[in-house]
Amino acid sequence: MKRTLTTAAVAATQLVLVGVAVAPQLSARATGDTYLMRVAPLDPIDPFRGAYVSLDYPDLRHDSSQSFVDPGLGSLDDGQEGDVYISLVEEDGVWVADDWSRRRPADGPYLACDDRSWQIRCGIESWFLPQDDASRTEDLLRDGAIAEVKVDGRGHAAVVGVRAP
Amino acid sequence: MDAPALIPRSVPPRQLAWLRTELTDWASDGLITEEQAERIAVRYRPGLGHARVNVGRVLLYLGGGFVGVGLIWLVAANLDQLSPLARFLAVALIWLALLVGGETLAARKASAPVVGAVRLLAALGIGAVLFQAAQSLQVPAFEPRLVGLWSAAALVHAYATRAYLPFLVGVATGVGWWFSQPLWDEPSGLAVVLLFGAGAVLATSLAVLHDKRIEAFAWTWRTVGAGMALLAMFVAAIPDVGSDRVTWGFWLVVALGAAGLSAVAAAVTRPGIRVLEPAGAIAVLVVATLLGLWQTGTDTSSVDAADWAHAAVSVMAYVVLAVGLVALGTVREHPPLVWMAMVGLVVFTTFQSFAVFAPIVTGAWLFVVLGTVFLGTGFLFDRARRELAHALDSDDTNSDSTGADR
Repeated sequence: MKRTLTTAAVAATQLVLVGVAVAPQLSARATGDTYLMRVAPLDPIDPFRGAYVSLDYPDLRHDSSQSFVDPGLGSLDDGQEGDVYISLVEEDGVWVADDWSRRRPADGPYLACDDRSWQIRCGIESWFLPQDDASRTEDLLRDGAIAEVKVDGRGHAAVVGVRAP
Repeated sequence: MDAPALIPRSVPPRQLAWLRTELTDWASDGLITEEQAERIAVRYRPGLGHARVNVGRVLLYLGGGFVGVGLIWLVAANLDQLSPLARFLAVALIWLALLVGGETLAARKASAPVVGAVRLLAALGIGAVLFQAAQSLQVPAFEPRLVGLWSAAALVHAYATRAYLPFLVGVATGVGWWFSQPLWDEPSGLAVVLLFGAGAVLATSLAVLHDKRIEAFAWTWRTVGAGMALLAMFVAAIPDVGSDRVTWGFWLVVALGAAGLSAVAAAVTRPGIRVLEPAGAIAVLVVATLLGLWQTGTDTSSVDAADWAHAAVSVMAYVVLAVGLVALGTVREHPPLVWMAMVGLVVFTTFQSFAVFAPIVTGAWLFVVLGTVFLGTGFLFDRARRELAHALDSDDTNSDSTGADR
């Protein structure tokens, strides 16, 4: 009986840890609204999770860098690091950044991101798919694409689809 | 009445060979007669079962490891015949079956290697579940926290059931996370030194906390701590490793805090001579950090007094650490520490010789200098080892005679 309880406790704790790993994306998918954003693709591989298209969001980038060598959302360059909130505004049918702030906006929609690493990351930078599809998708989307992103009330975001414009 | 027929006891072949050599020596010294030696020898026979058990154990663990890694690679293959949710459920069911199966086998007192192999599969399986969940929900790639959570999950399994192989999975992935998470935010040479040093403090403190409670876990933590200490000193001695200033990111502070807390816990709950281990690791952290901060320039074409002093102090510090680890390995009867210290010292002196002395001592002279360095350190090392063994033998004799007196 004791071993059964121990095994059940181990299984439950491990499942909670799995939940912690995907909490922001799960919350966004379960409770979020859908926003369309322009994306540009790249094609690397994660050793544990396979092929994916790395997504760059030109309309969310903070600095003016458009380099292919160092794509990404840029950084705030304010001498600090931590949480970053990107307020969104609709423009020609897609959502673009309106403001970048260290303080959570009073109302949405906004993305909850952080810049503790070398650039701002919002949890929507990868689109995993089978190896063949990844290279096909990269070719298909080379001229730009639209990402379908779900965002919940706390700014947690998850990519739910990527398609040609 | 005749004595009942003696059934020879099965012992490992190496032990039997040792016993027969000793019996021959004792008989030739007159301690026992030839007949007595023969009568002792026939009580034992070489046990082939030991070899079979070891081969079986190795194959089971190897098989478990291969299947577990294969399961994770299946996640990476991103099989699109199944939907993301179906893939997650399939992987989760496999993991749950392995977890429950392993613990059921353990409860039924099944063969230890079989239980170990299934538990190993379960510990790798929870990693597959985690990565499948992250893949299904499009969590961004290369998130170090996923490896950290895998480590936590494996350690929960290990500590709840005292399972060694999940513990090894947890420690291996934990060490990976220990470096990848802080360096993901702030990569720098000095941060690497700090993480190795703090890792040594944490692991040796945990080893002390586990002593006499979970010996197998203590053994592993001690080995990890020694490896971290040797690597901390090695990296710190690389010229100009600290040229990039360290940025105190959140996870680097957490790592140092965890190391400090574990050392305090070890000192409070296990007072006495044991506390020397975490204290030694803290000394390694401090010395390695100071060495890392000591800049002597990056120009390898000219070696000035500062370079010589840096190399000399580094070598001295490393030799002191290596001798300390040999002493610890001898006292604790922990041979890997002795081997790690010796191999580390050879690699370290070779690296230092090439990195610092090569620009001014070239060709054949480099080998002469290097050989002299090896001979010198080897002589000192061997002398320290013999004196330590002699001192320990004397202590044993004294304690034995005291015990006999009582």
